[in-house]
This record gives sequence, C-alpha cells and structure tokens, in this order.
Amino acid sequence: MNLARSISAIAYADFLERVRRYSFLVTLLFAVYLGYAVATGKVLLKLGDYRSVYNSAWIGVMCALVTSLFVSLVGFYIVKGSVERDRQTGVGQILAATPLNRFSYLAGKAASNFGVLSSIVVILAAAALAMQLLVGEDPHVHLWPLLSPFLLIALPAMAFVAAFAVLFETVPGLRGGFGNVLWFFLWTFGLSLPEITKQHWLDPLGFFSAVDSLTPAAQAQLPDYKGGFSLTIADRAAKIATGFHWEGIDWTPSVIALRFAWLGVAVILIGIAAVFFDRFDPSRSRAVSARKLRGAQPADNLPQAEAGSITVPGELGTSAGGSTTSLVGANATPALIHLTPLTSRDSSGFPRIFTAELKLALKGLRWWWYAGALGLLIAQFAAPLPISRGPLLAAAWIWPVLVWSALGTRERRNGTAQILFSCARILPRQLPASWLAGVAIAALTGAGAALRLLIAGDKNGFLAWCAGALFIPSLALALGVITSTAKFFEGVFTVLWYVGPMNQTRGLDFTGAARSLYPARDAAIYLLLSAVLVAAAAVARARQLRHN
Amino acid sequence: MQLAVENLSKTYRGNVRALRGFTLMQGPGVLGLLGPNGAGKSTLMRVLATVTQPTAGRVLWNGADISRDPDSLRSVLGYLPQDFGVYPNLNAFEFLEYLAAVKGIGAASARRRIAELLELVNLTGAARRPLGGYSGGMRQRVGIAQALLNDPQLLIVDEPTAGLDPEERVRFRNLLSELSGERIVILSTHIVSDVEAVATSIAIVSSGQLVAHGAPEELLSAVAGKVWEVVVPSAELAALRQRYLVSSTAHRGDGVHARIVTAAAPSPAARQLEPSLEDAYLLALAESRQTSELRGAVA
Repeated sequence: MNLARSISAIAYADFLERVRRYSFLVTLLFAVYLGYAVATGKVLLKLGDYRSVYNSAWIGVMCALVTSLFVSLVGFYIVKGSVERDRQTGVGQILAATPLNRFSYLAGKAASNFGVLSSIVVILAAAALAMQLLVGEDPHVHLWPLLSPFLLIALPAMAFVAAFAVLFETVPGLRGGFGNVLWFFLWTFGLSLPEITKQHWLDPLGFFSAVDSLTPAAQAQLPDYKGGFSLTIADRAAKIATGFHWEGIDWTPSVIALRFAWLGVAVILIGIAAVFFDRFDPSRSRAVSARKLRGAQPADNLPQAEAGSITVPGELGTSAGGSTTSLVGANATPALIHLTPLTSRDSSGFPRIFTAELKLALKGLRWWWYAGALGLLIAQFAAPLPISRGPLLAAAWIWPVLVWSALGTRERRNGTAQILFSCARILPRQLPASWLAGVAIAALTGAGAALRLLIAGDKNGFLAWCAGALFIPSLALALGVITSTAKFFEGVFTVLWYVGPMNQTRGLDFTGAARSLYPARDAAIYLLLSAVLVAAAAVARARQLRHN
Repeated sequence: MQLAVENLSKTYRGNVRALRGFTLMQGPGVLGLLGPNGAGKSTLMRVLATVTQPTAGRVLWNGADISRDPDSLRSVLGYLPQDFGVYPNLNAFEFLEYLAAVKGIGAASARRRIAELLELVNLTGAARRPLGGYSGGMRQRVGIAQALLNDPQLLIVDEPTAGLDPEERVRFRNLLSELSGERIVILSTHIVSDVEAVATSIAIVSSGQLVAHGAPEELLSAVAGKVWEVVVPSAELAALRQRYLVSSTAHRGDGVHARIVTAAAPSPAARQLEPSLEDAYLLALAESRQTSELRGAVA
C-alpha cells in the first residue's frame, strides 16, 4: 500500500509540475498538429497502393499507429528530464533523505512520463473520432474498433517509452546529449526489430498487431494486392479499396497478452534504472567526475599554505594611494593585494570574445573526442571525393553535435545568464561570437571535404558545404536560445542528419552530397535559412534580455 | 554619481506584486537593503542590474533611464546574483577570463585584474582547478571576483555572504567597506549584522515597499528609548510575545531575559537598553504591518 501511495504521490506531483508549464501547451499543440495531419490525409496508412474506406476500424488503427510511431520518437524527448529537474532544483536532495526507495521514485517518474504521453494519446483518439465524423465516408461509429488500437497498441508503447526515458536519465553517460542522440538510433532499431529477427512479437510499437490482421484480409479481398504495408507522409492520394471489409484487429487473449507484456518490460526497465540510479548522491554522479574531484579539493582540504589566510580573520586597510588594498591577517602577517583600478575598457574586442567562446565550447572534451575528429578529418583528405563529401563529412558533422547543442543553452543550463545578461552590449557581441564559434567547429571538422571540393573545382559542392557549415550552428543556436534546452536540437538534428546527409534525401541533405538537380539553389535555401535562424535567435535573446 | 529609483513597480504573472511604488536616491556609499524573505529585495536587485524590466516606474543612473539605455549602466556594473552558476569545466582563471572578455576588458588589464582578484578572494591556490569541484563557498568567492572584474562604479550584491564561513564573511564585509569610497554598493541581505557592519545607509523593504530609509544613526534614533529588558519565568514568555515585540530572549538562572521593543516601559522592573539596528529593523517591519492591516480594515 505504501509503495503504491509513494509511486502515485511522486507521479501526481511530477505530472502537475509538468502540465503547469508552458512547454506542456507545446506538447499538446504537437498532438493537435499530429491529429490534424492524419485527419487531412497528410499521413496515410496504405496496403500497397490502397487504403480502406475511412470507417472506425481503419481510422482507429491508422491513428493509433501514427501515435505509436511519432509519439514514441518525439515523446521521449518531451518526457525525458523529470529526474534531472529534481537534481537541478534540489528537490532530489530532499527526497534522498526520505525512506523512499529508488524503484518507487523511478516508478513514480515513469508513471508521470506515461501520464504526459497518455494525454497525447487521448487527444489523438479524440482526433480519430472527429476525423471519422468529418470525412463522413462511413458515418457509423463503432467505439471498440476505433479506440481499442489506442488502448492496446499506443498505450503499451507509451509505457515502454516512459520507462526508457527514466532508464536514460539514470544510466551514466546516457543522461545528457549522447543519450538523446542514441535514442533515435535505438528507436530506429526497435522499429525494424520484428523484420530483422522475423519475430513479429518483438514489436514494442505494435505495428505487427495491425499488419498481421490487415495483410491476410487484403490478400483475400484485393485481387491486385501484391503485399506491402506502409504508414507514409502522403505525397499523393491512395486508391480507395471500396470493397475491402475489415472489422478491426481481432484482439484474442494471446494478442492482448503480447501487448501487455510490454508493460512488464517497462517495469523491468524501471528495475534496471533503479540499479543505476545514484539517488542524488553527488559522489556517485558523473557530473563531478573523479578527475575533477582529484583536481579540486574543497576549501577545508586545501593545503595549509593556501588555506592559511582563510583561517585568519582579515582586516582591510588602505594604502596612501587608495588604489592598493592590503589584506592583513589577525596573525599580523601582512599580505598585500593590489587591486589596480581599470583605466580603459576595450569594449570592441570581438576576437577575444570569439576566442573565449570557442575555448568554452571545446573545454571539457576528452582526448578521444579530438582523436575521433582528427581521424575523420584525415579520412576526408584521404578518401575518394564522393566518400569524403558524403558519409565522411556526414560523420564529421554529427561528431560535434553535443558541442553545438550547448549553443544558446549554456547560459541557462549553468546558471550564468544573470551575470552575462547584465554585461554591456551582450547581444551584438556574445551571441555572434558564440555562433561563430559553432561555425568554426563545423569548418574545422569538415575542412578535409572542403579542401577536396576546392581542389576538384566543384564550386557548387563547396557552396553547399559552406551552407551546411553555417546551417548547423544556426539551427543549434536558434533552437537553443528559443527552447533553453539542448535536447530539442539534439533530437531534431539527429533525425535531420539521418534522413538528409546519411540517406542523401534530396532537399534535406544540408551537406549537398545528395545529387540535387539544383545544387546552387538548394545551397542558397540553406544559407537563407541560416540567416533566418540566426535572426530568430537574436530576437529571442533580445526578448530574454528584456524579460529575464 | 547617483542612482535614483522612481516609483518602481514590478508585477509578475499571476498578479504577484513584488515591488510597489518603490522610490529611493543613493549616492556613493554602501546601501544595505534589509527585508524578510519575499520582501522584493532580489526583484529590486534584478531591476537595478538591468536583468529584469520593471512594470512601472524607472531607474536613473546619473540621470539616464537604464530601461532605455541599459548599456550605459552595464559597462560600469558589477552584479552578484543570489543564485548563479559557473561553467564546471572551466577553472576559476578561465571563467574570469571569459567574463572579462564579455565585459569588454582588455586582455592585459584582465589578466592582471584576475590575478589580483583571485588573491583577494583567496582562490589563487585553487585557480587552476575546474569549478565543477568547488565547494559552495569557493563558488561564491568566484562570484564575488567576477562582480569586481570591471572595477564597477555600481556594485550590486545579493545575499553575498550566503555559503561563506564566518571568517570569510568578515573579510567580505571589510572588502565592501573598502570598495565603497568612490562607488555605490548595494548589499541585499536579511542578515542584520552584515548591514550593521558596513552600510552607510539602510533601506528596509517589506511587501515590495520601502518601509524606512536613512543612515544607521537615523534608524537607531527612531527606536531610542523604546528597547527594554524584562525578566519573566519561562511559562510567561508566550504571553509576553503576544503583547509585545520581543526582539530576542536568553534563558538565564533567574528566568528568561526578554528584549522588548515598545514605546512605554512594559513593567516597573523593566530596564532600558541601548537600541540595536535589529531592534530598529523589527520595529519598522512591525509598524509597516500594522499600517497595512489598518489600511486593509479601512478598505
């Protein structure tokens, strides 16, 4: 009873804290947009080239699959951060001093994550009902076929994602940006797991619950159906299979058990998370690494020679000139400290602030990061040009993703905003310097491909490279300043990088390696987009300076 | 050099009024800003530091409105917020070097100044260690150093002694006294002894309003002849608190020695005491609450 009460109390408080934030409104808007996209045919469920008449069963399963697919990816980024919030606010320290056990705490957080994701599911379920009534292809509403896919496909998937978000928050190394990037690849892997293993039950997102029900019906009823099942962003309308009758998924006890098994997996994931969870003990946290702890002893442990003056009550006197301050210890050992008045302020020193921003961006990176960047750079010089400007440049430009994701967010994340924002001419100096530091990192890590393009005389290729080098930090800065969180850029950029440069999707490949018909035009679009993003960052930062 | 706060108000979302018609003039010296938690001190500090915009009213720095031209103040401003962070991967020297660049201080001047400041705040020995491993007190000292980086004419420090040990507190108070000669220092705290030690003028804030403002002697004169000591059995202490403003108590062999602030002698045996700033502060707050309650009752 106590366990249930603890979990529900943690979940309830966390849920309230989230839904009272403006970011929750953005979450709901995302859900509404997704519902709108489905209702207006922007996302389609197709069997080969066909779709069914929009009846309750078809709309229910289509909307539930859309929910399962998109919300499982984006929802992770939405809900991840509840443990971190307790760490940042200090609430975690209070909780750590209570009898609350790790599993209860994390189960509460996962339940809250699930609550947030479920609210999106509820909105999409309502959108599904509205869609059927609005489209009017079949006016007869059957609630079970319409809503059961949400209940049995989408909700277990959400529980799975909710638990994964908690796991990523507790496992050292996955808490930060690396975890955000890794989730995308894990999600892609999870999506293809039933195909890879040929085991349809290994399907956390529930796609094969629908596939295994729909495809036999299509094979039996559609003479020219040659197989295939897709959930696509519609580029053209699908043919309507008017004679196709499908009453919805036959929810047999075994199918239901398989779906609910994912709730069990979610509980196991929370259990694993509890093993890794440091219970807000800073000595177990990687935030202050052993390296740093070795390097920085607390004041109490400072060597006596250094600590001597701390332990002696000081008195300040003034020398005759007034510009010299002397600190005299109670042991009468004088220690003169000269505080020289500043006679000039070199307020125009942009190169200095740029250098400072670049050092700040690169500070704290380990040797292996530099080794990896250098390896990719050398490979760009050595490999054939198509490889150099293709996969190698793409790899070189995902490598610093966590460096870029700090742009625009570092001040908030580290609590230095108030100090920085009270400095003179901060907007025209610090923000451009920060952006330029990001551009410099893109230029340095991708320099090999740039040089190869120049040597080959590929002007359009080089223009595209320049556009890419400007676009990435511009996107990072804009998303960082506007959202005040790094994870948004980390999620968006990873998806864009995978779809664009890695899969060479025309129009989305900001490196220009995909063979576009109009390379110069595409590069110009990215340059223009970069300018718009930097302007958006400046406007948002100006607003923050006024309304901090 | 003058800082003028004219009829300043700040209302947060949800109609939370943090400041109401706050007016104050301050020349060179240390202004101690005293008030209970939630009185609006930090909001006032943020507005003065150009970090937050007021809802109404204005702040003039040497006659210029800081809302219209914040940079005129920012270039000569040193600000230590109540809650601030550091970049954990930088060491103290690098962090201060970074802020010096942001504040527009030339490289050579910055290096010399940083070395002096690190010496001043006793962090020279730890200057090359990452800030991520610093204790709370050490971070606070880094915060103090950054506030002094640009040799500010206006130094705003919000609860600067939080996290410092008693000896460091004494050192910091002395430093503020030393710095105040040709500049304005605004020190916000709820620790009366910090203000008592260094302030040349004191402003008492309650519920977003200025309750009292003047030199320490002026505030003390307002409470002169109103501080008494009575000795009562422990059992009567609660009743005494109900009737009088008790500023402190001490349990002794003959009973509880209670320090009371009231105009007339609370009992024939009461002994008059020298007033302290804490007495003046408590009286000002109590009178302000009474006035608010009266206004509320009339309304």
